[in-house]
Amino acid sequence: MTPAIEFRGVQKNFGPTEVIRGIDLVIQPGEIHAMIGPNGAGKSTLFNLVTGRYHVSAGHIALNGEDITNRAPHDISRKGLSRSFQVTNIFHRMSVYENVRCAMLWNLGYRYKFWQSVRNKRDLTERTDEVLAQTGLSSRSTVLAGLLSYSDQRALEIAITIAGGANVVLLDEPTSGMSSAETEQAVTLIRDISATRTMVIVEHDMGVVFDLADRISVLVYGKIIATGTPAQIRANTKVQEAYLGTDAEP
Amino acid sequence: MPDPRKLGIGALIVALLIVLPMMISSSFALSVMNQIGIAIIFALAFNMLLGQGGMLSFGHAVYFGLAGFVTAHVINGMHVDAFPYIPVTLIPLVGGIAGLFFGIVVGFVSTRRAGTAFAMISLGFAELVTGLTLIIVFFFGGEEGVQTDRWVREEWFGITYGPDIQVYYLIAAWCVIAAILMYALTRTPFGRMSNAVRDNPERTQFIGYNTHRLRWLAFALSSFFAGLAGALHAINVEHVGFETVGLGQSAVILIMVYIGGTGHFAGPILGAILITLLNAYLSDVSPAWYLYLGLIFVLIVMFAPGGLAGLIMMHEPIRRTAPYLLWQMAPAYGAALGTSLVGLAGAIGLIEMIYFRSTTVSLDSALVLYGIELDTGDIWPWLICAALGAAGGYGCKMTYPRVAEAYSAAMHEARALVTT
Ligand SMILES: Nc1ncnc2c1ncn2[C@@H]1O[C@H](COP(=O)(O)OP(=O)(O)OP(=O)(O)O)[C@@H](O)[C@H]1O
Ligand SMILES: [Mg+2]
Repeated sequence: MTPAIEFRGVQKNFGPTEVIRGIDLVIQPGEIHAMIGPNGAGKSTLFNLVTGRYHVSAGHIALNGEDITNRAPHDISRKGLSRSFQVTNIFHRMSVYENVRCAMLWNLGYRYKFWQSVRNKRDLTERTDEVLAQTGLSSRSTVLAGLLSYSDQRALEIAITIAGGANVVLLDEPTSGMSSAETEQAVTLIRDISATRTMVIVEHDMGVVFDLADRISVLVYGKIIATGTPAQIRANTKVQEAYLGTDAEP
Repeated sequence: MPDPRKLGIGALIVALLIVLPMMISSSFALSVMNQIGIAIIFALAFNMLLGQGGMLSFGHAVYFGLAGFVTAHVINGMHVDAFPYIPVTLIPLVGGIAGLFFGIVVGFVSTRRAGTAFAMISLGFAELVTGLTLIIVFFFGGEEGVQTDRWVREEWFGITYGPDIQVYYLIAAWCVIAAILMYALTRTPFGRMSNAVRDNPERTQFIGYNTHRLRWLAFALSSFFAGLAGALHAINVEHVGFETVGLGQSAVILIMVYIGGTGHFAGPILGAILITLLNAYLSDVSPAWYLYLGLIFVLIVMFAPGGLAGLIMMHEPIRRTAPYLLWQMAPAYGAALGTSLVGLAGAIGLIEMIYFRSTTVSLDSALVLYGIELDTGDIWPWLICAALGAAGGYGCKMTYPRVAEAYSAAMHEARALVTT
């Protein structure tokens, strides 16, 4: 089977600082792959490399078998890879509805059209309503995104990410800063959207990670020290020493 | 389907535009209305960049002016059969295409970056083109500019564009068409994504859009409408000078749009009407007109960054839920207006007297202000104006907080009405 994402010898330096120090990893189609590791390990940087936000210093990245190394973010997005951000990254001065609708325009073929209205388009309206319902934002659709509560903004972040129908989705700490009740909701949502997609998720909440993931990779100081099923990771002594410690047992 | 209320308002505006010149006999007033129509198109075009696309241009008059020159040359060429005949009614499209062409060429470079870089590049191009006006004389006509004669031959229904009134209807018709088109553009995928790239260019890339392409398209389309306005300007005054591409012209449109309000589609229309009117009627009355314009601009930027449209739209939630609350606010607003006018009267008096004394060489020291003859050599007018200014200023200090209170009280009540 062609891997959904494949990293081969990926490195990233910021000046003299080596942040990613040689990553080889295969993300299988359909799996939920969790990426864990201490602060500053390079998890977000890895996402930034896959999505074209940063250029790699060395190595190659392939999406569904196609090389996407150092392609522009919009190019990679059009190939069906989409991401959420650790720090909420939405369109503040537009309504929630507008945020979600914009996020699907390209993939539904609307592109740069300036001779056609977006109003009363069945495909847009239906898909937008569907995504809003799925992310629990239906009642907030007319609110300006900048005025939403924090957890609603996090939900919108995910809504924008999935609206375009990408088949590979990267989520960067989707539950950060949420209460436990909100986290529970978010986990249900993530499970729901992962049903039809490949997903890579960065997450600090070990409960969430061990609950959701098919496989887990542990990233420490720019290197993957272990990859495996939750059970394998839990049993891995190297991981326990380096990262999990004793109190991280879920 | 467009909703019937908007259709009704639209029909009303069109009817008004048709009968307005019939009620007004002064040719000066007619020429002011022509200027307003042109300014509205240009201002809406400018706001496609500033308000919709988040691009601050200091040189958008380049496309207005260049299109004006092209139009003048095309009309002149038609007179000597160097160009195939195009009805003058449709000539604004030629200007639009010229604007579009220059917009595509320059925009490709300038829209690579947003923010400050874009603003600086726009300034650079404005200076560059201004410099060219004195170099490429066969096109720009040097300091005299290019003359033209809009009466080419008789068109449909005996229209010749000889009489000013025919030009008025030409401008009014194009103004309505351009405004409708630009409004429609805001609702297209391009228009929506233009807002998106304004709000958050980074996220825009991650939903599949090339931000440079989006800005470039916005710039090109905006230049099309700026060019359309420029063509109408050339037809209207039958002359295009180097100042039409210059920084002054660019600054005026920026100020108009900002004062009107960038956040609402109608904002630039308000700004264009207000500033053109003030310019037409005040610049003759007062030599200090630019000082007042600058002052209005600074006040808006500081205290009402949403512009006039923003101030009006602030009251929209109240008007929609409970219009009677607006009446309750009226006394506070009235008091603030009163004290402002008193202060303004004093300040204007002082400014006018200073201007008068510093610019008049005659021995006559009398200035006619507010219909009163003031002897600026005497101390009393100065004292009275200073007193008015001080009293108004002090009054404003008392009345303005009341306005804020009244507003928030009304908003509070309106909100309470919505939630219950
Ligand atoms: N643009 C940049 N320029 C310089 N250094 C950077 C840049 N981006 C990230 N870094 C550095 O790279 C390292 C990894 O950062 P990264 O954000 O990828 O960590 P992370 O694993 O996502 O951490 P966290 O769990 O805190 O989000 C950090 O030391 C960070 O300071
Ligand atoms: Mg991170």
